[in-house]
Amino acid sequence: MKETLSLVQKLSAHPDSRCWFVSWNPSGTLLASCGGDKAIRIWGREGDSWICKSVLQDGHQRTVRKVAWSPCGNYLASASFDATTCIWKKKNNDFESLTVLEGHENEVKCVAWAPSGNLLATCSRDKSVWVWEVDEDDEYECVTVINSHTQDVKHVVWHPTQELLASASYDNNICIYKEEDDDWECRATLTGHTSTVWSLSFDAKGQRLASCSDDRTVKIWMEGSESRQSDVSWKCVCTLSGFHGRTVYDVAWCPLTGALATACGDDGVRVFREDESADPQQPLFSLAAQVTKAHNQDVNCVSWNPKEPGLLASCSDDGEIAIWKFHEED
Amino acid sequence: MASQFSGVLQLTDLDDFITPSQECVKPVKVHKTQGKSVAKIQIEDDGSYVQVNQDGGKKKLEKAKISLNDCLACSGCITSAESVLITQQSHEELFKVLRNNKANPAEQKVVVVSVSPQSRASIAARYNLSSSEAGRKLTSFLKGLGVHHVFDTSFSRSFSLLENQREFIERFQRKERDKKALPMLTSACPGWICYAEKTHGDFILPHISTTRSPQQMMGSLVKGYFAEQQGLSPQQIYHVAVMPCFDKKLEASRSDFYLTKAETREVDCVITSGEVQKMLEEENVSLNELEPAALDNVFSSVCGDEFLSHAGSASGGYLHHVFTFAAKQLFGEEVKELTYKTMRNKDFQEVTLEKDGVVLLSFASTYGFRNIQNLVQKLKRGKSPYHFVEVMACPSGCLNGGGQVKPVAAQNPKELLQKVEELYRSERPLPPEDDAHVAKLYHSWLQSIGEERAKELLHTKYHAVEKMTNGLTMKW
Repeated sequence: MKETLSLVQKLSAHPDSRCWFVSWNPSGTLLASCGGDKAIRIWGREGDSWICKSVLQDGHQRTVRKVAWSPCGNYLASASFDATTCIWKKKNNDFESLTVLEGHENEVKCVAWAPSGNLLATCSRDKSVWVWEVDEDDEYECVTVINSHTQDVKHVVWHPTQELLASASYDNNICIYKEEDDDWECRATLTGHTSTVWSLSFDAKGQRLASCSDDRTVKIWMEGSESRQSDVSWKCVCTLSGFHGRTVYDVAWCPLTGALATACGDDGVRVFREDESADPQQPLFSLAAQVTKAHNQDVNCVSWNPKEPGLLASCSDDGEIAIWKFHEED
Repeated sequence: MASQFSGVLQLTDLDDFITPSQECVKPVKVHKTQGKSVAKIQIEDDGSYVQVNQDGGKKKLEKAKISLNDCLACSGCITSAESVLITQQSHEELFKVLRNNKANPAEQKVVVVSVSPQSRASIAARYNLSSSEAGRKLTSFLKGLGVHHVFDTSFSRSFSLLENQREFIERFQRKERDKKALPMLTSACPGWICYAEKTHGDFILPHISTTRSPQQMMGSLVKGYFAEQQGLSPQQIYHVAVMPCFDKKLEASRSDFYLTKAETREVDCVITSGEVQKMLEEENVSLNELEPAALDNVFSSVCGDEFLSHAGSASGGYLHHVFTFAAKQLFGEEVKELTYKTMRNKDFQEVTLEKDGVVLLSFASTYGFRNIQNLVQKLKRGKSPYHFVEVMACPSGCLNGGGQVKPVAAQNPKELLQKVEELYRSERPLPPEDDAHVAKLYHSWLQSIGEERAKELLHTKYHAVEKMTNGLTMKW
């Protein structure tokens, strides 16, 4: 049974600019994209095709690097190089800017909502990771500022079920944070990548974490089972090397199918499958499908639809979004 | 090398660990002399630059130097300052002065060391002494090295508290006309001041109390009053402060605290509690074994051989003092005990004075960067309910300063902090207005020099640092 990636549609999402990131809303009906044109676009399906439903402009002065939906799907957060994070509230079919989170010294690189929807994490070139708390009145307060990285922090991601946060940095490391005695602390530093770690993705249950790097590898990390309850220890159980010709910019673990997708600087999109017969402590992954020229330029992001198995979105420096279907070959 | 600055200063571009020669982007002013003709510049083997004129004559070119003041006035990195600081303000410098004193008795400087109560508690914890014992033994150690006077910054803190109190009442009374009068934010923490100047400039600075910190109050006392009394010029005194915090070195280096006429700083050198511990080790001295010395009571809050302190927080008790005073002065309310309400976390607390359901005074203390951040954002949104905020850069405040003695192996940092706090609190508090010596100085010295001069000696100014938009400042 061979699997393949077939193109559903290409969208000129951020013309004459880069499309940096795409993110599905929790119900999988809307896709948000952001780019170098400082705009955020919301895409929805009409009939068989995806069309632009709304454009969020004037929120940011510079590139919008990442967007994230709240778990309830009613809020959208955008992280920008203008050092701010914007929170947008969905009203009917439109979005209004609710608040602007200031504090980072320079470029905000990523934003992510915790599964509870009460916490939001941001990270920046200023090397810090911030956690914000949201109250009932949509007021945001900074809960912590953590300086565990020594360089630009590229990505933050929350554990799917626990209040555990992971970050990836230009210092080649991954940090895992937990709240301890009314403040957040870095509880583990994952070393192994030999260059910038660009992105992270937890599997559906949060037992494993995938990381991708400028060292052209993807690593799979697993929480140590032998560790005492108070300790957090993650070890690398698998390294995918030899598949990517250039920097791997993004990695996404499909919560529905367990397939692992990557976005690469060699313009390719790849999907890996886990060998289910392998020892869970020593997982094996094989390349299930790839499109070598998925885009005309670097692929920046891959994102699995959370409701429709196999539906994958990718976006690129060429300003385009591509929607793919990962399925068994007919 | 890990930065020893407070977390606030470490944020962002502030911890790049570069030395000025490597990556500093501060444009340096070079005094150009009009040249006669074309010349070549040659780089010698030792890295020096030499100008070779057409006639073959050589002239060594002056090196552009970045002073600490350049660093402080720059919105680029701050830790360039760190390497500069290490050369200008360290216990090595103190040793150097003491050695010079021995070598050249004719040019001897009077060495004054002012010890903060937080440092005393930290050192006491390391040697299992009471705070006062540690103070007496430390006095003995320092005097043994050749230090002439050992003072206590609780004494100068009484001035800081009294000035804070006056300034608050004055600000409270003009709050209707002046939107920036309140909240009044405390000024004793140099990490906070540096952050405010570099990041929030003109917006936040008017809120910050102009009252000098205890360290710089002591600077005025030592290089002003004390020098005069002793018939010395300020330059003939070498004044060292022992502080729980590395950022205090930056404070001492501010141009506002430089006596231009006398060409000297009010505080010449700041060394941390940890550096004092290092001095003890280098001299192979165990504090426990030293005979305690009598306390210097020129500028010290002492009662017999016991040190006196202030009520409230271990970061100076600013909120406590101003709250108690303002409640009485403004509303005739005698507050015996303050109720601290813990807000989002233990480093964010509120104290309110209510009468018939009306909030008369709303005070808060915010320690650590996250709480400072929320305070600043609330102020920007016009949502801060406070009249007064005690702001400190370090989580848990000054006792947890980056310059404190580090825990020994296997010592739990939290337990150590608790021990240091207990030691600090064991010093009996004395309301600053009850210190007869302080009152006497207000009465005699400060009244004699006139209001304006007194203000200069007890207060300071802040300067917004303009952000550099220069592409060179970009660091990836």
